[in-house]
Amino acid sequence: MSTSTNLVTSVGAFSAEAFALALESHKGLPSWWLERKEAAYKQFTSLAYPSATDESWRFSTRSGFKLDGFLATNSPATTAAKDIGLPGKPALTFVNNSLTESNPVDQALTQKGLVVSTLKQALKTHSEVLKAHFMAQDQRLGSAKFAALHTAFINDGAFIYVPKGMELKTPITIVHSASGANTAVFPHTLVITEENAQVSVIDYFVSDSTSAHFCCGANDLYAGHGSKLNYVGLQNWSTLDLCLQMNSTVVKRDARAQSLNLHLGGHQARHESLSQLQAPGAFSEMLALTIASGEREFDQRTLQIHQAPNTKSDLLYKNVLQDKARTIFSGLIVVDQDAQKTDAYQSNRNLMLSDSAEANSLPGLEIQANDVRCTHGATTSRVDPEELFYLQARCIPEAKAHELLVFGFFEEVLNRLEDDELHAALRTIIQSNFN
Amino acid sequence: MADTTLTSEPVQSDNPVTGIDQSAGNFSYKVDYEFDAGTGLSEKTVEYISAAKKEDPWIREFRLKALKVFESKPMPTHWATKDLEAIDFSKIRYYLSSGQKPKRTWDEVPDDIKRTFERLGIPEQERKFLAGVEAQFDSEAAYSNVKEAVSKQGVIFMNSGEALKEHPEIFKKWFGKVIPTGDNKFSALNSAVFSGGSFIYVPKGVKVSHPLQAYFRINAENFGQFERTLIIADEGSEVTYMEGCTAPKFSTSTLHSAVVELVALKGAKIQYITVQNWAANVFNLVTKRGVAHEEAEIKWIDCNIGSRLTMKYPGVILKGRKARGEVISIALANDGQHQDTGAKMVHAADETTSNIIAKSISVGHGRSTYRGMVHMPKHLKGCKNNTECDALLINTNSRTDTYPSITVRGAENKVQHEASVSKVSEEQIFYMRQRGLTEAQAMSLSVNGFINDLARQFPMEYSVELKRLIDLEMEGSVG
Amino acid sequence: MASSLEIKNLHVSIGDKEIVKGLSLTVKTGEVHAIMGPNGTGKSTLSKAIAGHPDYTITSGDVLIDGKSILGIEPDERARAGLFLAFQYPAEIPGVSIANFIRAALQAKMGEGEELDATAYYKKLYQKMDMLQIDRKFTSRAVNDGFSGGEKKRCEILQMAMLEPRFAMMDETDSGLDIDALRIVSDGVNQLKGDALGVIMITHYQRLLNYIVPDHVHVMWDGRIVKSGDKSLALELEAKGYEWVKKELIKA
Repeated sequence: MSTSTNLVTSVGAFSAEAFALALESHKGLPSWWLERKEAAYKQFTSLAYPSATDESWRFSTRSGFKLDGFLATNSPATTAAKDIGLPGKPALTFVNNSLTESNPVDQALTQKGLVVSTLKQALKTHSEVLKAHFMAQDQRLGSAKFAALHTAFINDGAFIYVPKGMELKTPITIVHSASGANTAVFPHTLVITEENAQVSVIDYFVSDSTSAHFCCGANDLYAGHGSKLNYVGLQNWSTLDLCLQMNSTVVKRDARAQSLNLHLGGHQARHESLSQLQAPGAFSEMLALTIASGEREFDQRTLQIHQAPNTKSDLLYKNVLQDKARTIFSGLIVVDQDAQKTDAYQSNRNLMLSDSAEANSLPGLEIQANDVRCTHGATTSRVDPEELFYLQARCIPEAKAHELLVFGFFEEVLNRLEDDELHAALRTIIQSNFN
Repeated sequence: MADTTLTSEPVQSDNPVTGIDQSAGNFSYKVDYEFDAGTGLSEKTVEYISAAKKEDPWIREFRLKALKVFESKPMPTHWATKDLEAIDFSKIRYYLSSGQKPKRTWDEVPDDIKRTFERLGIPEQERKFLAGVEAQFDSEAAYSNVKEAVSKQGVIFMNSGEALKEHPEIFKKWFGKVIPTGDNKFSALNSAVFSGGSFIYVPKGVKVSHPLQAYFRINAENFGQFERTLIIADEGSEVTYMEGCTAPKFSTSTLHSAVVELVALKGAKIQYITVQNWAANVFNLVTKRGVAHEEAEIKWIDCNIGSRLTMKYPGVILKGRKARGEVISIALANDGQHQDTGAKMVHAADETTSNIIAKSISVGHGRSTYRGMVHMPKHLKGCKNNTECDALLINTNSRTDTYPSITVRGAENKVQHEASVSKVSEEQIFYMRQRGLTEAQAMSLSVNGFINDLARQFPMEYSVELKRLIDLEMEGSVG
Repeated sequence: MASSLEIKNLHVSIGDKEIVKGLSLTVKTGEVHAIMGPNGTGKSTLSKAIAGHPDYTITSGDVLIDGKSILGIEPDERARAGLFLAFQYPAEIPGVSIANFIRAALQAKMGEGEELDATAYYKKLYQKMDMLQIDRKFTSRAVNDGFSGGEKKRCEILQMAMLEPRFAMMDETDSGLDIDALRIVSDGVNQLKGDALGVIMITHYQRLLNYIVPDHVHVMWDGRIVKSGDKSLALELEAKGYEWVKKELIKA
């Protein structure tokens, strides 16, 4: 039931007509939702595309961000479920913005209040919670226009709510996929951990490798008082795709959030990650690994905002660059005036494996409290020839030695994961991406 | 334009910056149209300046072209502070000839300024100049000695204006080449209205043993608003240049925009030392850059203490193999001040190395910003950059920002950047107080310790004054 | 005439927690007192509170030098009144050389308009360094910055030798010292001892007291002095352990 194939040919497929159709299909959902979508569409049309003087797009190939021809479709193509290389079965699988498969979670847990459902379902059962948390944070990293587009055209997504005191042992996996030429998808995952709850959520993004898609995703993570929220975003879109992901994490008193984003796919992939430490004792760990190859561009923008005293954030982003790939890391730590005793760290490490690759680093600090410990560092270098020589002296062929050192480079990040099974799975995925 | 309005009455000075109280110890102007371009900026102003200086037509053209560039460029507020918008270009006086500088009497100089001079141990004669009581500081004798000594070695050391007339063959070749007019809005402004500044040419192989100091030849133009300095060190030569002093410098103008260009030819070494302490109502927007040829070395040592807003990012273009660039920077931002400083390193040849060490101290409501740019373009080998920037925050209201930008292409280069922000630890202060030092003394010692490794690179008299100055600043910050 | 440092029924808290619970002690110049006690009994708190550390609140009691209370005055004024604290963990001051630091401290003790005689200063500094077997190169190093434990302690004693206090509180001066360093430090203190100096040695172990022989030994327990005696008390304590004091206390 393809709703609007006729729009594919029109330039700027996110037309008022297309929006009206998208909105029509949400009829019957809460009015605040529809109103927000309408407001978002207005915002999308009124905001300008990123320009040359836009600091938050510095170094990125802005001209690549053309949305012409892409089409938001809600019709899932029939794709056979394939093994994604992660432990367990996905709880929810979305293809082209619609749910295609779900594996129910333990009933004993749902009876105690755990919710793992679609956003559409949650709009009926948890409307107020959604209203408070869905795309609720300011878009401060440059993509307000695309965030508005996301809100306007989103069809469905995942909603995870972990009640007070519940500690989940096994990760919840959500698969978001895109297929068919010129498809635009708007994946979304919203996770809330209530007081002292604990959960691990994995988003897996994948698309068919034969055509280009526009993947415009977002997440909202909210770690309540004393809770622990682990998140892994495994971005494995096709290498033809135009990708944009806008992540937001809010961390409350004594809560701890960890997010690891693994960037493998996309032709041009921009990732924005905002972390807000809103109460004393909050801790946010922000990790990322990127394997950049070909002539692809990976653009990462991060913001760590310390809004309360005694909060901690720790960011480690590592990129391996091959061929003619480009990476951009632009990170900012903001310490508000009242956020004394902040402990903030930010590090970007680039490993250059090619003479034609380009790494850009913009590690920033804005500090308004005086009793803080804030450091950042950025390094760009190649594999240490001494280390390489050492391994070769131990009979390891050069290519293998190289590979070992590159994996070693990534291990520092992977070691931060508590889940050994997940660690092993991610390592395997990274290795297969190198060969 | 007859000399008709030589008023004897002091005229209230314009205040080109809103919200700044200049009434204390105010300056007064005598308006004399023979030497005064008036306020505001237009082609007429530029033509007036060029005519007053009796310049060659090519310079006049250069200025007029620059004016167009200046007018076409927007204020860089999309990345820099919005405070720039407070500058009203129409109310600024772009040229006053040296004989007609505004004056005030010593009695009009505010007491706290007098006390500062006292504490810093500034000689009587210099105090009057620095406070704007006298337009000239008569150190001609000292200057002549230095000039004579270096001219024996074939060194040319003179005012830029003179050099344009006397040595156009050397000047023209490099003038505006390291920093093109259109580099930024303020380099364009300087190119349109420049006057004063130094010109130095050091011949092949000559090593100038004593630092050449702008201080020796303080005159109104040299401490001017829009000075233009060009230093050329020919192959294998060495020279050190110093400008400024730690004593506060009081100015009639609220906008200063200098352009300094350095050229170090093969194997040459240039060291450029600046101590900036403009009064707290001054916008100090300066462009400084050098080009280092093969195996040459350029080192900027830069200390910013004064001004309302300083924007200055000394740079080195590492053009020849094995060239070296270095920026050593100290910034002190007190109440109402914003020190927006940093460094630029453009690697353009193999095996070039650059080093940036920046330390800033924010006191009271002061704000310090570091901006850095390191660029290693394609297919270079063996390039290295090391950047360290450390910020110290003294009070709860002070602020610091760090915005480096690093671009590296290729696998054969190495870049390392580290930055940290900290405060003076309470344990440190208690320890020192237990040894009998007052809180202010302890704070001052601690801050001096923080910058000590950099301060040591300044000439002795500068670092001693710097230490005294920090003592003064710390006294006001505690208690 | 001998000076005196009197601690009268002193109560000290950190936050809401009382650490020193009514301690009294009088030390005269020329005397060496040792305060011994297990960890966490309030020994370091006592010395830091007397020196005026802002984290410690004196809730009641008094500390007087020659009958004059020092509690109302700033830490640096207390220091200038002749009180010296040799820290257990001295702070590091990067970029400030030992020579400049001690000089600044001596200058601070002098009146307005008085200038320290640089030549005499260095002469004295070198003499004291020789006494403490400290290398001349030491003076250009930044205060405690990257020092070993032994170097830090020697640096403390050097400052004490230069500042010539009337009363020195030495907090765990023996901690982190090997036997050679302990001997050098102790020799230094023994040379500084005399009619003009009163010493309070705070220590966990008896070992130090083999080198610096005290006139009085006090045992501190739970924020109070529970037993006082002469140097034989230290030996008894060493032989019987702190458990013995605890039992004695329970009996009493």
